[in-house]
Amino acid sequence: MTPASLLHRSEALNPAVFPRAAEPLEEVGAEAPGDVGAALAFALSRLVSARLTSAPNETRPVALVTTADWLAERGRPFAGGMRDWGLGADRLIWVRARREGEALWALEEVLKSGTAAGGLVVAAAPPFVTTRRLEFAAREGQAVGILLRAGPAGDLSAARRRWRIAARPSGLDAWDADAPGTVRLRAELLRRRDGPPGAWDLEQDDETGGFRVAAGLAGHGVDEGERPGDERGDGRRAVA
Amino acid sequence: MKANGQAMNGGTADAPSPDAPFALVERGARGLTLNALNDAARALGLHRGQNHADACAIAPHLASAPAEMEHDLEALRRLALWAERFSPAVAVDTALPAQEGLLLDMTGAAHLFGGEAELLKDLRRRLAKAAIPARAAIADTPAGAWALARFSHDPETIAPPGRLREAIAGLPMEGLRLESEALVLLKRFGLKQIGDLYGLPRAGLARRFRGAAGLRVVERLDQALGVVSEPLEPVRPAPLYRAGIVFAEPVTHVEGVAWRLPDLARALGQQLERDGRGARRLALVGFRVDGRTTTIEVTLSAPAATPDHMLRLLREKGLEHLDLGFGIDALMLCARQAEPMSIRQGEMGDDRQMAQPQALAALIDRLEARLGEGAVRRPQARESWIPERGEAWVRAAPEAPSQPPARDDRPRPILLLDPPEPVETLAELPDGAPMRFTWRRAPRRVVKSQGPERLGHEWWRSGPGVANRPPRTRDYYRVEDEQGRRYWLFREGLYGREDADHRPSWWLHGVFA
Repeated sequence: MTPASLLHRSEALNPAVFPRAAEPLEEVGAEAPGDVGAALAFALSRLVSARLTSAPNETRPVALVTTADWLAERGRPFAGGMRDWGLGADRLIWVRARREGEALWALEEVLKSGTAAGGLVVAAAPPFVTTRRLEFAAREGQAVGILLRAGPAGDLSAARRRWRIAARPSGLDAWDADAPGTVRLRAELLRRRDGPPGAWDLEQDDETGGFRVAAGLAGHGVDEGERPGDERGDGRRAVA
Repeated sequence: MKANGQAMNGGTADAPSPDAPFALVERGARGLTLNALNDAARALGLHRGQNHADACAIAPHLASAPAEMEHDLEALRRLALWAERFSPAVAVDTALPAQEGLLLDMTGAAHLFGGEAELLKDLRRRLAKAAIPARAAIADTPAGAWALARFSHDPETIAPPGRLREAIAGLPMEGLRLESEALVLLKRFGLKQIGDLYGLPRAGLARRFRGAAGLRVVERLDQALGVVSEPLEPVRPAPLYRAGIVFAEPVTHVEGVAWRLPDLARALGQQLERDGRGARRLALVGFRVDGRTTTIEVTLSAPAATPDHMLRLLREKGLEHLDLGFGIDALMLCARQAEPMSIRQGEMGDDRQMAQPQALAALIDRLEARLGEGAVRRPQARESWIPERGEAWVRAAPEAPSQPPARDDRPRPILLLDPPEPVETLAELPDGAPMRFTWRRAPRRVVKSQGPERLGHEWWRSGPGVANRPPRTRDYYRVEDEQGRRYWLFREGLYGREDADHRPSWWLHGVFA
């Protein structure tokens, strides 16, 4: 990365800047089935980041739409753990659909209604037309929709961004060297409408529950907030 | 109204011919006895309660089948639901065995069906179409109608208002719904018709018949004449708000139902709005030509009275779930449950014009109507430290459930495996953290671990622990494997103290981010 690229204000022109604010519809996939926890946490952080794009004091709930198959294989959402990712129990709504078709329909209703800040659906193979509908619904309801996919997908989708998430060995715990420390993961942006792809090593920001670019870890990219002269001011405050 | 129990069992392909004597038999203390018979059997002189062997001696070609009382009763109940098209209050009358029937409260409602005579005609015509022979009567009291329906010469009898006394005077004493011993006694006194009792002193009448039977005679007479009231016990509570329409021709397609549904919703909405109430539970009932009903129900997360919202829910639930059979000739939309509306609501059609709680309620209703009740949930913290018990997902309401303050901020997984899954582990020390474990057949090496976090079992609660075994202490560990994936493992049972029944075992309870 050259210092000159740091001066660009627009994400579109600077591929190395981690796009913090979510697009109306994004796709998050786990690199391997075992990375589902990391992928889910990343998806939640994208949902919470909707705060940046819409109202600053977002209180609308967030919906998790699951299918029966997924529940049987992956387990059920646990609000006690989602709290750590900036989603309080009072903002969580869990929608249990049986099949994927129903789940996609449910997410569309959620997004369209405008009563939810966002929604996440677990989907193996959403048809292209459905993803288009979801994107429109998300725009209409000023919400963020996330398609959480079990594995890497190369098919057509209307999602503006496609992420691939892999867990990374955690950082050092301040008190216990043997304990798992700060959560880290690798977020690869495989495709985006507004620029070339990129990859970032992210770690959890303990203050906000969201992710920040792990500074000095891999050198793949920088955080928006760490750019000098950013008009958004102190990026950390805006971290979702 | 009286419908023949035997006929109601019919309608199947192997129904006996009406010309051949046929009886349903029942096994009792005195062997097989006749429980119900058709006209042909009755014409041969057979009667109810007769010994089956005697009956066979009289009519050797008598065909019989075992009586299924529960099914008869069930069929009668179904018919009662169907009869709700005429009145919201329909009772199944089972006071006397083999004299079962339905009682409908038609107070002030007969004019809706073109008057009482038309009503009876319509009722019997519809039943006849469904192959249910019936007799019916209308009178001032349930007991009076009961007697007239069963013992009047005419299968359709109407006792004009205030003239019931004369109308039932000529009926046989059986019309009073008396026990057999009281009947025998009355007959012994030469009292054969109900009218014979009118002139007798009541005190004497009550004294003459020993015990409860005497009081019963007076009570039954009073009930028939309306001196004491006899409340009906409807099969289900009458809905407070209902709207119905009758089709000229039976409707066999869902489109026909969908076409008329907006009218119903509007009518129901007006009723609800007039009282400032909203429906919490809606039922759409189709009355089929074969004497059955078909229903779809939706539950609302918050009271609503807006026709558009009700329509949307019913459509989302799926009108195709109505089993129209050979067609329905009446349709009813009712609010089975209604509650006062706390907030004045705007137009539910456009969600964004509504206040957030109402819009959310509308969304929850829509989702639940299609996905099933209880499909939309919100977390509710419970007073328990056992993870799977400490957090319940309760049915969603527009307002988030109140949460007790979080007990602590110890790390918790974002996905919980419920029930926990067994893992094989290798640990350095028997009561230490695992070094390796195998979950779902994949071996994993533990790089970092933290624990134990000891959670004792809640001895004051009953119920089994993991894998239906008695609950034991759990030691939770947060472990990370080489790839950086984090898991929540626990060892169930303590070495040395709780390993009497079986050795402590390892389980995987959740996945961290």
